[in-house]
Amino acid sequence: MDLNALIAVMIILPIASALFLNLLHKKDRTIKIIAIITAVVLPIIPLLTPYGSHFFGGYLPLAQNSTLAQGLPAIITGTQLSQFHLGIMYVFSSAQQLMIFILGIITFFAIFTFINETKKPSGVYAFLLFMGTASLSAILLSDDIFNLFVFFEIAALAQVGIVVASGIKDNYETALKYILIGNIAGPLLLLGIVMLLGVTGNVNVTDMIFSIKNGFVDPQSPVLLMALSLITFGWLYASGLPPFHTIKSEVYSKALPHGAALIQAFSVFTLVAIGIIIIRLFSYNPFTHIAIIGISVIAMILGITMALMQTDYKRILGYLAVGELGYIGIGLGLGTALGITAGLFQAINESVITSFLFIGFGTVLYKTRTSDTKKLGGMMYVNPKVALLVLLAGLAMAGVPPLNAFQSKLMLIQASIQSGLPEIGIIMILLSIVTFMTFMKAFYTVYMRPKPKELEVLDNKIPKSTIISLVAFLIICITLGLFPQIATSSLQTLAAGLV
Amino acid sequence: MREVQKKAEEDQPITNITASAMLAAELTLIASVLVAVIMVRLIHPVLMIIMIAAVLIIAVMARPIMPRLRKEQNDDLNNMMFYIVVALGIVVALFYWGNLNV
Amino acid sequence: MVVDSQLMSFFTAGSLIVIGIFAALFLDNLIKKIIGLAFLGDGVNLFIITMGYKPGGIVYIFLPDMTISNFAQTSAYPLPFALVLTNIVIGASTLAVILGLVLILNKRHGSLSASKILRDKGE
Repeated sequence: MDLNALIAVMIILPIASALFLNLLHKKDRTIKIIAIITAVVLPIIPLLTPYGSHFFGGYLPLAQNSTLAQGLPAIITGTQLSQFHLGIMYVFSSAQQLMIFILGIITFFAIFTFINETKKPSGVYAFLLFMGTASLSAILLSDDIFNLFVFFEIAALAQVGIVVASGIKDNYETALKYILIGNIAGPLLLLGIVMLLGVTGNVNVTDMIFSIKNGFVDPQSPVLLMALSLITFGWLYASGLPPFHTIKSEVYSKALPHGAALIQAFSVFTLVAIGIIIIRLFSYNPFTHIAIIGISVIAMILGITMALMQTDYKRILGYLAVGELGYIGIGLGLGTALGITAGLFQAINESVITSFLFIGFGTVLYKTRTSDTKKLGGMMYVNPKVALLVLLAGLAMAGVPPLNAFQSKLMLIQASIQSGLPEIGIIMILLSIVTFMTFMKAFYTVYMRPKPKELEVLDNKIPKSTIISLVAFLIICITLGLFPQIATSSLQTLAAGLV
Repeated sequence: MREVQKKAEEDQPITNITASAMLAAELTLIASVLVAVIMVRLIHPVLMIIMIAAVLIIAVMARPIMPRLRKEQNDDLNNMMFYIVVALGIVVALFYWGNLNV
Repeated sequence: MVVDSQLMSFFTAGSLIVIGIFAALFLDNLIKKIIGLAFLGDGVNLFIITMGYKPGGIVYIFLPDMTISNFAQTSAYPLPFALVLTNIVIGASTLAVILGLVLILNKRHGSLSASKILRDKGE
């Protein structure tokens, strides 16, 4: 059997399982079993798949495909046309492997906590979670920018669905706002993509780079610059960087904890995927790097200062997640091999830590049905174990050794100094401290101060599965913190290819 | 500090935590913007000095910034849309004319 | 005077996009906003179709009596048409979700005004 077919299975399996789960109504046991089996298999597939490319339709470029090229005129075989890819292509290498593995792990724990915290797990909700994961895997794998756009829209719809399904107050309003805004930004992203198509005649990123590098396209063409600006704008929307940080943090706060954990992983990985494409296509243009760094710095400052001002702990986490996205963006924007490796490593760390925090703080919602810090307090006595785990997650986010974000933030600071921009390092340190302060503020008000009299703590016990998930996230954090080379060695090849 | 309290009192009773958070946010904002402006030195050192002076003056004049900033970044759809279209304009203008004239 | 139809199509697409953004930004009624967004999506679709247009080009169907090189030189570029079809499907499904949400919110608030329904709740 051709093992490279497994690349396609990474997307087909969650979609198939999602569609099947959608059909099951009120068959709770079946839904549980199928969801868990799929969720277990998801992180395993990328580990088994060998590196390589998958060509849909099986067509290699004509230059490598002598049977197909036979009998074609020289106008096709003798020109650059023979180099172009004939169908959608998925590329799978060590970096994609690591990212899809981490995405699979987060999906697994989201499904795991969802199934155990909900009495009657709905198949439709599981459908949304799996659909999102499938689209994100495709976004990470795809070398075809239009294919990426299609899956990106599916992921956006899945996110809207997750928000609608949450049942939190005002979730419909948030969902409508998100989808309306998405309907402005999505078509503009597509416009940028088709402008690229118009200039290069291609939607395959590798081919577009080939055209730009070999002089078939004028790199300073105004249409190309317009495409760059529109794709950058779409990238802001996709990842929730400013000015989309308000809506994105609101979306996080209106989703259930496991949903929020997954949605933020979607944002992180879309940021990485589209960011990498922007850098691959336009790194010849020095302004791209400046713009990415500028946007990231604004995201960091706005995200973290706004987080300080919030009173809803889910909103605090949402804004902190946006602020942390800025670190990833800076890594990508620095454009050096070390910087990009550090940015990708930070992306992996952040997706794990923020999921950890969302699910950890989610236990408070589970016990009290409120997320307003003004009404909360004294949760330390209710469940000290979870409080300790959440505290460790907060330390990880702030970058305390020996946890994982310490390693990636250290690398980011080193990279910024190496690139001759020590100021960015200073801002990152400053904002890390403020991140920790913001987290401690939320932690103090929820867990440590005396319990307000009005607060009712429900008698339901926190499921063991939630604790297991939290411990597992902690183990990942510590492992990556002590042995960062596990992750960085996988990411280095991709980063070196981008410089 | 007093102004911060006055601004914050408008929407909710103030507590120690919110007041200190607002102050911290204000200081963070000013400090990080100041550090970020130092990067202008790569374009021209004199421009950097002028911009730092400008940021300092604005920070003093516009104090308290944070309550206003928070008011601007609310969850109103029209507000969000406005900033998004403004950002679209800025991004397109920067990339398009910024590149052609560099 | 012969007007270049491709240029005019681009112009129409551009105006649709601008009108769409304008409507989404300035009109308060949610349904009108959605119509504006549909304009925006349609403008982009028209832009894509126009890009695939080739003056004097033939339909990209290879008939037995054609030569490959003649076909390659004269046929229009089929990829944009495939893309536009996909995008129409995406647009339709998104529109359905938006309209569903508006329906629910209209029942709940008894209004279609964006500034009433989607205002800041002030947490």
